[in-house]
Amino acid sequence: MMLKATIDADILKESIDAISALVTECRLHTDETGMSTRAVDTANVAMISLSLKKEAFESFESTKNELGMDIAKMKNIFGMMGKDDLIILELPDDGHKLKVSFEGYRYSITLLDPNTIRKDPNPPNIDLPGKVVLSGSELNNAIKAASVVSDKIALGIDPASSLFYMSAEGDTDHIRREFGKNEVNYINSSEARSLFSLDYLKDMGKVMNKAEEVEVSLGIDHPAKFSFYIAGGNGHVEYLLAPRIEAD
Amino acid sequence: MGVALREILVDYKVSIPWETLGGIAAIDAHNALYQFLSIIRQPDGTPLMDSRGRVTSHLSGILFRTANFIEKGIRPVFVFDGKPPDFKEETIEQRRAARKEADERWRQALERGDVEEAYKQARSSSKIDDEVIKTSKSLLRLMGLPYVDAPSEGEAQAAYMVREGEAQYVVSQDYDTLLFGAPVLVRNLTVSGKRRMRGRTLTVSPEKLVLPDILKGLSITRQDLIRLAILVGTDFNPGVRGIGAKTALKIIRKGDFVRLAEEKMPGTDIEKILNFFENPPVTNDYSLKWDPPDEDAILGMLCDDFDFSPERVRKSLEGLKVTGRQKTLDSWF
Repeated sequence: MMLKATIDADILKESIDAISALVTECRLHTDETGMSTRAVDTANVAMISLSLKKEAFESFESTKNELGMDIAKMKNIFGMMGKDDLIILELPDDGHKLKVSFEGYRYSITLLDPNTIRKDPNPPNIDLPGKVVLSGSELNNAIKAASVVSDKIALGIDPASSLFYMSAEGDTDHIRREFGKNEVNYINSSEARSLFSLDYLKDMGKVMNKAEEVEVSLGIDHPAKFSFYIAGGNGHVEYLLAPRIEAD
Repeated sequence: MGVALREILVDYKVSIPWETLGGIAAIDAHNALYQFLSIIRQPDGTPLMDSRGRVTSHLSGILFRTANFIEKGIRPVFVFDGKPPDFKEETIEQRRAARKEADERWRQALERGDVEEAYKQARSSSKIDDEVIKTSKSLLRLMGLPYVDAPSEGEAQAAYMVREGEAQYVVSQDYDTLLFGAPVLVRNLTVSGKRRMRGRTLTVSPEKLVLPDILKGLSITRQDLIRLAILVGTDFNPGVRGIGAKTALKIIRKGDFVRLAEEKMPGTDIEKILNFFENPPVTNDYSLKWDPPDEDAILGMLCDDFDFSPERVRKSLEGLKVTGRQKTLDSWF
């Protein structure tokens, strides 16, 4: 057996939702310590890195494998699972088909040839000095509010007053949300400001909404990094989003 | 119009967000104008007109759609058709006849009060005449946007510009561009977010087709793709009745093209068409330069002359000045 694991439906769903916010397929790596994936969206604008430790599973045994996952298909399949189901994942040694069982259903899911999926990008080495840690739902609410008036949003840190701000400029309307020191769990005083597409942020926001805290790393006209835990601390997600440039 | 290759290309259409389309776009002008003229109409099919009865749908499309492009970081260059090759005569004649017929049916539907049918027929009656071309070019000049006059087919010139690296992709609804060797084709930019198809309204978003991926995926060459299109029918030949893209692909793969062409298309000069798609007349005689729009002149032309609402025109002029651009992560890897 290349892989045999039992996992809580909620955790599996959460992980798949996190990936499907950006990509429809990915290469999933498994070994004895757990699973991980890193993928960039087709437009090269955003990246997700996700890892699930073996502790995120009820039981977990795996050799070192690379699985080609059709995330869009997985999302549809797992959409019909109940919240507290336990899911059994099995990949036999000849494995091109992943066996998934839950609630009496037994799926046999054909995996993609990993070679047809874009290679995992290298972890980029970016210096993002601005840091703020706040609740995922606060972050998501501000993203939702901004998308009512515009399709882009500026995220920044005002070092003088130690404020984290999110501001969006529409054709006719403007919205700004400031988070003072006492509204965030942590903020440093490093000046930052970059503009981002709300198209991407909206999808990421839905996933981050559930996170108790999200660490946001920012620079000036640089990508933003959002990192947070899933699976009760046994899994971790990192989103990286390229900025828009305000004007030539 | 264009060649019916959709069936075999479906798997190679990648839906892409607007944010990632930043860069120079070679727009098949004839195709874009046709979209504007056929889509931008009133519910009974009457095109937008000024008080003197002159059609203004295309001007509306150029201003509002293009302003939207620029706001998204796209730098458009319109590529206009030149003189069609003489062997296109038949197609042109057929289209003229089809348009005339649609025009007649539109009038009849209007008289009957059948609005839906009227809209449908009116769309098919759209035609691009010299006046449309002339006013389109005037507006583009005032907007500070470059355009290119192709020596022959506009989509061939647009494909050439992308191959030469002068533009990043061709914008057209027609797959012919791929036959002309465009490495990247982007569809659904000149249509609005909502599109009426067979009476229903669909939401469309930009989609990208990459020629090398298509050829690799279908395991055929570009020549094969052109031959395949000739079987299905192109702007230059009617094709073989009963052969669609899927069947044509099988024929090409089996190596049956020559036999079938001789048998079913005895009158068609295959070599001539093949050669035209492979080596169409193109030019290097153009320069791509984007200037700031001449706002007063645009207001003068559109509002004073063609009765556009100054408020709407002013608003889209704001869009022309914005240059937001989405970066990719490449810069940081």
